[in-house]
Amino acid sequence: MDKGLLAYLLIPLLSAVIIPFAAKNRPKLADILANVTLLAGLANLAWLALRPSIIRGEFADIPGDGLSLLLVAAIYLVAFCVTFFSAWFLDEHLPNRQAYYSLILVSVAAMCGVVTTTDFFTLYVFIEVLAVTSFALITTDESSGGIEGALKYFFLTFPASALIIVGIAVMMMSLGGLSFESLRIFMAADAPAGTVTFAAALMMLGFLIKAGVAPFHAWTPDAYQGAYAPVSAYLAGIVTKISGVYAIIKLATLLRFFDGRAQAVSEMVMFLGMFSIALGALAALKQTNFKRMLAFSSISQVGYIVLAAGLGTPLAIMGAVFHLLNHATFKTVLFLNSASVEKSAGTTDMDKLGGLEHSMPWTSWTSIVALLSTAGVPPLSGFWSKLLIILALWESGLKTYAVLALLFSIVTLAYFMMMQKKVFFGKKTAAAESSPEVSAPLLAPVVLMSALIVALGLLFPYFYTYVKMVAERIIL
Amino acid sequence: MTYHNLLFVLAAVFAVWAVMAKKLLTSAIMLASLSAAVSLIFFDFGAPWAGVFELSVCAGLITVLFIGAVSLIRAEEEKHPENRTRFYALPLAVAIFAIAAWFYLPAFFDELATGRQMAAGGGTIGLALWDLRRPDMLGQVLMLAAGVFVIKSVFPRRTENK
Amino acid sequence: MSTFAMEWYLIAIIIFTGFYCMLASRSIVRQLIGLEIVSKAAMLSVISAGALTDNLVYAQALIITMIVIEVVVVAAGLALLVKNFRLHGSADIWKLDSLKG
Repeated sequence: MDKGLLAYLLIPLLSAVIIPFAAKNRPKLADILANVTLLAGLANLAWLALRPSIIRGEFADIPGDGLSLLLVAAIYLVAFCVTFFSAWFLDEHLPNRQAYYSLILVSVAAMCGVVTTTDFFTLYVFIEVLAVTSFALITTDESSGGIEGALKYFFLTFPASALIIVGIAVMMMSLGGLSFESLRIFMAADAPAGTVTFAAALMMLGFLIKAGVAPFHAWTPDAYQGAYAPVSAYLAGIVTKISGVYAIIKLATLLRFFDGRAQAVSEMVMFLGMFSIALGALAALKQTNFKRMLAFSSISQVGYIVLAAGLGTPLAIMGAVFHLLNHATFKTVLFLNSASVEKSAGTTDMDKLGGLEHSMPWTSWTSIVALLSTAGVPPLSGFWSKLLIILALWESGLKTYAVLALLFSIVTLAYFMMMQKKVFFGKKTAAAESSPEVSAPLLAPVVLMSALIVALGLLFPYFYTYVKMVAERIIL
Repeated sequence: MTYHNLLFVLAAVFAVWAVMAKKLLTSAIMLASLSAAVSLIFFDFGAPWAGVFELSVCAGLITVLFIGAVSLIRAEEEKHPENRTRFYALPLAVAIFAIAAWFYLPAFFDELATGRQMAAGGGTIGLALWDLRRPDMLGQVLMLAAGVFVIKSVFPRRTENK
Repeated sequence: MSTFAMEWYLIAIIIFTGFYCMLASRSIVRQLIGLEIVSKAAMLSVISAGALTDNLVYAQALIITMIVIEVVVVAAGLALLVKNFRLHGSADIWKLDSLKG
């Protein structure tokens, strides 16, 4: 475990324990405590990584492998946006208000545990904590959709834990330990890797289920659609990415996919990645519910990350890490916007919506920024990550995958344009007539994230230096 | 040796019984028996700490939780009984799986066992937990905190509604 | 055939039983029971691997953590079940189909 980043785990935990006592009679205090904790973490992270001297030194002074720090920053950013949004979104009389903020902070702590750990079993422990907090978060508003989504999430992802545990048992048997380092040393040596590859394949399968990659995606749309509105942004933006996709990237780098020691696993992962890109994009074309369409789009975007992780070359890993981060920004914007639309117009059914651009201009424009970034339109940040992924595929001679990835990027643009047309453009419908723009505090997180999308795209050279440093450290 | 394998077979039998039982209460009790069999296996392996935990927590606490939940929903479950044919097919399915797997799995597992790496062994359980698995302890603390908040969130205390 | 292979063969049968239960049943309680069976088998695989490599102390350390996780997961599952029962008055997983698309 990375000692330098331990504070990012412990402070939210402490704060989560304090909230129920401190906010017993003053419910607003829960909002303030949660937001202050996360904001303080963000400020600290900015100081750690964005000082001019660090940027000039090409980020050589970043502690650890760099990836942990980047992901901790993403976790805090998304969690902060969601709690800030929730502070104004939550119903005044929600009975489980304190528990809601405590759960968010515990899950932030668990995610920090996931990204800073150096051991497979600890990774599993933190992922379970994360899953348990997610169920309760999904059911926050006690709607029947929420409880349904939570139950499906529960029963479709927990069998994956058994696969991971059996994988861990085999790995313990053949490595004598469970740290990432022992696997790295084993894969670098020239011993026959059959047993370890079997263990890794089992674990990889478990993590693929947890990440919601097709064909194991049955729970994803239900969980995202049924979840309480800000929670679906939190889940789609960061929780399922950390609990599944991060572990896949980590395993991919440890198994040294690029020198072909675990060829079969690598090919399986790449195929499933491509399959979920295609399935997510095609299913999204047919959806009539705003949130459900975003959920399928999320499956498709996770496919890009998994495809790149499966390829495993340094360039592809760079693309995967960068796309993971971009996914956190644009999906948070889109899901938070869907929450705003739900609050304002009372529905997320796209057939009933229309012409919202006049009454909700900010929501409309931030959605356009986010969806263009998702589809990979230059100069937004999503363009660069997709470019890296497609270049890496082309370089490795996988031209079919590269062309297909490019094609489905166009499909992404198509379904998002359709969504934008149905929800925001066109004639005003009855539901849209009486829907005013949401208040400024609800727009602030969305605008912040959109600004970040544009900034990451324009300042790509700086960011590239950072991601390159990360890829070098985690692969070599 | 035989005793050892017999315990495994016993565990498998309890598992099948837990699935097949018509009443949910029987299922819960068979699950407790499965836990007890598993803890006996732990003792037989020479892993007393795991055995004690398994017996007290899984066979005890989880069974209590299960029986509590089952007694709450039992009346409703019995009003709409499930189609039982699929459960009656279970012994057949297990038998088919067992026979088919007999030709492949043991050989495969023997091959897995050749790739083993012997460890130093030794040490005490407390030291192992504290020295080798310290991050897990943090994970346990986090898990327990999460459990408390989950229960708090799922069953909130309503003051104004009543 | 070694003891280890025999143990894992029986573990595979237990896992099969658990997954069969999860696939065949409509009742949420039975799904949870299937999940419990699968996780018991996973624990057995860890201890068996530990015994094979003379690593029992380490394996026990893992199992104690796994038991703590299991308790909280089962408690969370039962809490969801009871809440679903209060809202819908049923514990049938296929009756949950309001989310479609």
